[in-house]
Amino acid sequence: MSIMEYNGGSVIAMVGKDCVAIASDLRLGNQALGISSNFQKIFPMTNRIFLGLPGLATDVTTLKETFRYRVNMFTIKEEREIEPETFAHLVSSTLYERRFGPWFIEPVMAGLQKTHDGGYKPYIAATDLIGCLNFAKDFVVAGTASTKLFGVAEGLWEPDLEPEDLFETISQTLLNAVDRDAYSGWGAEVYVLTKDKVIKRTLKGRMD
Amino acid sequence: MDISFALTGKGYVIVAADTVAARSIVKMKVDEDKIKVLSPHLLMAYSGEPGDTVQFAEYVERNIRLYQIRNTHALRPPSAASWIRRTLADSLRSRKPYAVNLLVGGYDTSTHNPHLYWIDYLGTMSEVPFAAHGYGAYFALSLLDRYHDPEASVEEGLATLKRCIDEVAKRLVVNPEKYKVKIVDKDGVREVEI
Amino acid sequence: MNSFLTRYSSTSPEADIRKAKELFDEDGDVSDVMWGSASGFGNLASGVPMFKLPSVPDPTSFLRMHTDDHADPSCRIKIKHGTTTLAFRFQGGVIVAVDSRATAGSYVASGTVKKVIEINPYLLGTMAGGAADCQYWETYLGIQCRLHELRNRERISVAAASKYLSNLVYSYKGMGLSMGTMICGWDKTVRIPEMNRDCTEAIRANCRLQGPAIFYVDSDGSRLKGDLFSVGSGSTFAYGVLDQGYRWDLTDAEAQELGRRSIYAAGHRDAFSGNTVNLYHVKQDGWQFIGNYDVSKLHYEGPGDVPGAPGTGYGYDLRVAGRTSSDAPQSEGQA
Repeated sequence: MSIMEYNGGSVIAMVGKDCVAIASDLRLGNQALGISSNFQKIFPMTNRIFLGLPGLATDVTTLKETFRYRVNMFTIKEEREIEPETFAHLVSSTLYERRFGPWFIEPVMAGLQKTHDGGYKPYIAATDLIGCLNFAKDFVVAGTASTKLFGVAEGLWEPDLEPEDLFETISQTLLNAVDRDAYSGWGAEVYVLTKDKVIKRTLKGRMD
Repeated sequence: MDISFALTGKGYVIVAADTVAARSIVKMKVDEDKIKVLSPHLLMAYSGEPGDTVQFAEYVERNIRLYQIRNTHALRPPSAASWIRRTLADSLRSRKPYAVNLLVGGYDTSTHNPHLYWIDYLGTMSEVPFAAHGYGAYFALSLLDRYHDPEASVEEGLATLKRCIDEVAKRLVVNPEKYKVKIVDKDGVREVEI
Repeated sequence: MNSFLTRYSSTSPEADIRKAKELFDEDGDVSDVMWGSASGFGNLASGVPMFKLPSVPDPTSFLRMHTDDHADPSCRIKIKHGTTTLAFRFQGGVIVAVDSRATAGSYVASGTVKKVIEINPYLLGTMAGGAADCQYWETYLGIQCRLHELRNRERISVAAASKYLSNLVYSYKGMGLSMGTMICGWDKTVRIPEMNRDCTEAIRANCRLQGPAIFYVDSDGSRLKGDLFSVGSGSTFAYGVLDQGYRWDLTDAEAQELGRRSIYAAGHRDAFSGNTVNLYHVKQDGWQFIGNYDVSKLHYEGPGDVPGAPGTGYGYDLRVAGRTSSDAPQSEGQA
């Protein structure tokens, strides 16, 4: 039994036209036994950065707390909000600190990066459990359903989706992928980030 | 082989744990109390590695007490549970981790809400309406999905708990026979016989 | 004399052919039906089927080495596992309910598996453990039950059928068969006048062995007669609901609802169970398929307009929607 599959759970992030989306399932399990159908894995870091933490559930909570602390320290010291790209490197180095005894988490992040002309550029990234950064132009996935998510996302994703279409695409991708994974599912939630608002929706997923 | 259950009801949390202290195939003691009263409105059922359990429970108990002495006010259930979880999570990556599973039940006197937390030895925590640790979970969780009522009176809550205990007695190979049951509500902690 | 020589010499051309046949095992003795519509059961009429074994010193441990995914998750062959099944006897017959999920590791390989095997119009078998093992041997059991009928002009009893299966799988004990099954049916009701006029007390006692029957049979060789069984990784969850709602005098509608609700419970809590519920009811005139219910639909909407339905979804969150354990006073009152 892999430690990465002990609690189950999956996260996916996708790029759209001037927007990004990040979604996760809500299951917390003890191997085959379902414990909670309300275990969040996506956390807001700033108003424009959301971080998904699939993997070992104890580390989900611990890292959520660690990143909240570090982002707050950054804000206080720099007197500005952290940008997604900077945050991605913060995530990377935080994970590499534990190179020889890692956090069992594969983070996925989605954000809107400020550009020089004052606009926002979609930004998504993921890392492995010791912090190797992976920037993608389309989508990133992680968790027990990652193989299934890759398959569905390859089929459904297309460039320049508007926020509502992106929501539909990421939701369908997640719901259909977790239905083929025994350790993911039990409900899902989706965040769509646009330049002026964040839309949070809870999805009605299969409960088995 | 420890078994513990907990469930919330209208303004209370019931926590139950079996009373057997076993070593190898021998029952060393049959009236062991595995539920610690951490503060006037906080209970914690603990199970797991013998030795670790009591050591960890007492460590938590003293620290919760210390906080109360220093700050006059006791930690409210969500904060206490958070602190306990973090202690376990930190311990997990230490040289000698505590292997202790917990059910933390408390009553928040400020918001009038009962809280129940399921915590395992890794430091995984989840707030739930009902919970179980040990093999009992495999029988009780589906039963509680069917019968648990968040607005149940104490009598109804105890009846539901009785169903869990009876089911485990019926189906589990080794039956603990006796359980200690404690309730926390607005009036504090009390023990009940079932 | 010459023919003797050719038969037993080890150097003659005949001997070479004989050796080649042994080595490559051309299926010379197997009739052509094997390849036709009999779907692999063609050779069964001539007795118990034969299986080829891997040509290694210890075939059993060889197979175990590559299939045991409990001990070794990275094993080469992941056998599909069946998961939650239940059957219980009550006043109105037998209820059989199963889920439909097959998993290979964490992959949900199928959500539409038929885990109830319809052996004949009076016998049902359930499937848990190795899907192929259960399907093959219970189909085989169906053939043998039919042959029994033809030979004896009488339906086989559930006890006899289950014993046949039990003996059969026991003969393969230790070779890696994995099955946990319930053989359910309705035994023929024997009328006394038809029988020998001076029937003994033993025969009369036998007459009482009629009506609904369930036998649990597994690949260890256990065979248990009982009123209520659940088998599979989700069985504990099913028991939790089943035991609490079970009574002998359940009505048909209540019993069907209990079976459905119990499989739902297992589908919900157990990662390796779910997708849909298949429900059967065995009565005096044979089994009847009651329906197929999507577990997710049961969670959110319930079973729909069927006898015994609660009218709401089975899901905990739906059942307790709007109810709160908070006892905060409505207006300002207690401290």
